[in-house]
Amino acid sequence: MEFDWLFFCEVTLAGLGSGALLALTALAFVLIYKATKVVNLAIGEMLMVGAYLFFSFAAGFGLPVWLAIPLALIGGGLLGAIVERTIIRPMLGESAISVFMVTIGLGSVLVGLVEIIWGAAPTQLPDFMGTTPLFIGDAYVSRKIAIGFAVASIVIAAFVLAFRFWRGGVALRATATDQGAAYSCGIDVPKVFSAAWIVAGVAAAGAGILVGAVGGISPTMGVFGLSALVVVIVGGLDSIAGALVGGLIVGLVEAWSGTFIGGEYKLLATFGLLILILMVRPYGLFGTVEIERL
Amino acid sequence: MTITRRQALAAGIAAGGLAAGIRPGLAQANEIVIAGSIPLTGVFAFAGIGINDGIADYVKLINEAGGVSGRKVRYVYEDTAYKVDQSVAVFNKLTGSNAANFYYSDSTGFAKTINPELNRKGSMIMAGASFATELNDAKAYPNQFIAGPDYSDMISVLLTYIAKTQPGAKIALVNSDTEFGRDPIATTEAMAKKLGLSIAEKIVTPPTSVDVSTEVLKLRRANPDYTIFHGYVLAPLPEFMTQAKQLGLKTKFMGTFWSMDNSLWAKVGEAANGFMGVMPYRYYFDEDAKAPMLAKIRQMRPEYVSTAYMQGFLTAMLFCEAGKRCLDAKQEMTATNLKAALNSIKDFDTGGLIGAPITITGNSIPVGRVYQYDAARKVMVGQGDWINVSKPS
Repeated sequence: MEFDWLFFCEVTLAGLGSGALLALTALAFVLIYKATKVVNLAIGEMLMVGAYLFFSFAAGFGLPVWLAIPLALIGGGLLGAIVERTIIRPMLGESAISVFMVTIGLGSVLVGLVEIIWGAAPTQLPDFMGTTPLFIGDAYVSRKIAIGFAVASIVIAAFVLAFRFWRGGVALRATATDQGAAYSCGIDVPKVFSAAWIVAGVAAAGAGILVGAVGGISPTMGVFGLSALVVVIVGGLDSIAGALVGGLIVGLVEAWSGTFIGGEYKLLATFGLLILILMVRPYGLFGTVEIERL
Repeated sequence: MTITRRQALAAGIAAGGLAAGIRPGLAQANEIVIAGSIPLTGVFAFAGIGINDGIADYVKLINEAGGVSGRKVRYVYEDTAYKVDQSVAVFNKLTGSNAANFYYSDSTGFAKTINPELNRKGSMIMAGASFATELNDAKAYPNQFIAGPDYSDMISVLLTYIAKTQPGAKIALVNSDTEFGRDPIATTEAMAKKLGLSIAEKIVTPPTSVDVSTEVLKLRRANPDYTIFHGYVLAPLPEFMTQAKQLGLKTKFMGTFWSMDNSLWAKVGEAANGFMGVMPYRYYFDEDAKAPMLAKIRQMRPEYVSTAYMQGFLTAMLFCEAGKRCLDAKQEMTATNLKAALNSIKDFDTGGLIGAPITITGNSIPVGRVYQYDAARKVMVGQGDWINVSKPS
């Protein structure tokens, strides 16, 4: 039987697109870890809150999309700020596992809040991406996925550049490397922590809007964050470029395995890849290798 | 006589213990208890809230009408968050402090887990939110039943409808990779073959998947006449349908009970137009036949109530009917007697909740009707008659 190259290309493009959505979520995860060394397991729930905020502004208050999106992003940033100031900062100095457990609890609280405020039923976001099919040559690409890919690529590229050249980005890198040294250089470390959570909240809200536009919203959509966890482990917990590369790799693996082996093998392939990466490169493809000497 | 503090304490403890011991006994004599593990939070909360309202409303109605053979009905429940361990804890707590005659279970996992304990107790029968084919086995699950068709029966209703509407049609199956989703796959293939329908594609989606582009591409190449989803509530069905329409696919999309709530599809908008599926019960707004019970529901609840509400309401109705038959026959309310009373239900009128008289010979009610969503009117519209898929005994 002749191999269907067009089909393969379409599946590959779909994989890259859904990988970009994963990468954007992973970005929020990486930003927090990079600055504060906190593994935030509530990132999926923060994403969910962003999607619900957009839903409220666009469908509830009937605001135009160009206004609803920035408002939802601001809301996401605000959530990040509140969480950092009221929950995470008091935990400074506590063991990593304690903070990790707090973020799990935070996830449950956010799900509960969403169920109280918006109800438990799944729903759809208002369509703001259009329905005209998109073709690259003869290959079909889902319009929403293509838009998601473009947004994720631009945002991640912007973050890579910001960390390289912007003062704030450099301050964040310095804090991540050595908090004591950063303090002594005059960097306001608590402010850097806040900034990281705010920016991560904005990124998560953006990812939530995109994920919600594709798959709908519900109080359980936070499980998407778990897929992003695989991405950050593959790409490297503290690497922004790793989030993008990891996202694209996981997206491709899921698309190819789901199509050519079967949907029931998607997770098996993804977690198989995770184990393989952990065996070969325990800090991920682009993560900082920590050398511990006894 | 002087009573010491120690004596007073002992007397208090004794009185308390006596009261606690007597209360269930009294309750058993004077009332009927429906207990429930209800998923009011968690992934199944959207249904649990409706189920809870449905049971509570039926209990209210029956009590206002004098109860069941003169006994008042009491409904006790606790939230389980749709977790089996929590559900088991709730079962132990509620059945330990109440002489429950009937129990509402929140999931297939719980129904299977608690089955040995339910049989050991022998004091109550159970139904619930699960329509799992496995539970439709009176030998393995003698004290349980399903207040509707099992998932395989639901697919049988759809396939019967397809075979009648478009003989020889090509079908694609899309199932979630969960116990719920995989449930009817084997029986669907066998049934399709029997009805002369062909399975053009089988797609399985992981429970965490958001994007369905690759699955839609598979569907495009299979080009089926009908696509049957099972194992989902809403997502990813709207995205599937939107992308399929973008690609010009003519396939008709169908679903099973938990995907059929009208309010869910009303939020999807135009993309929902034409979605079909099987419903074991009438919708809140159905007025095309004599349905006095629906009229009562509309009186109690002026706003739309979900399909889950109907499921809870009918389950409570069947619990009470089984209790009534048992008491009227002057039998003790044991699990065996209650189940036998339930199985004596023949050509029973549910007050229009189900559009055909029902007979419960085993563990299910294998009846359903195909409905189709009309986006312009924002309602599910019945297609054809109610279909009975009971197997010849």
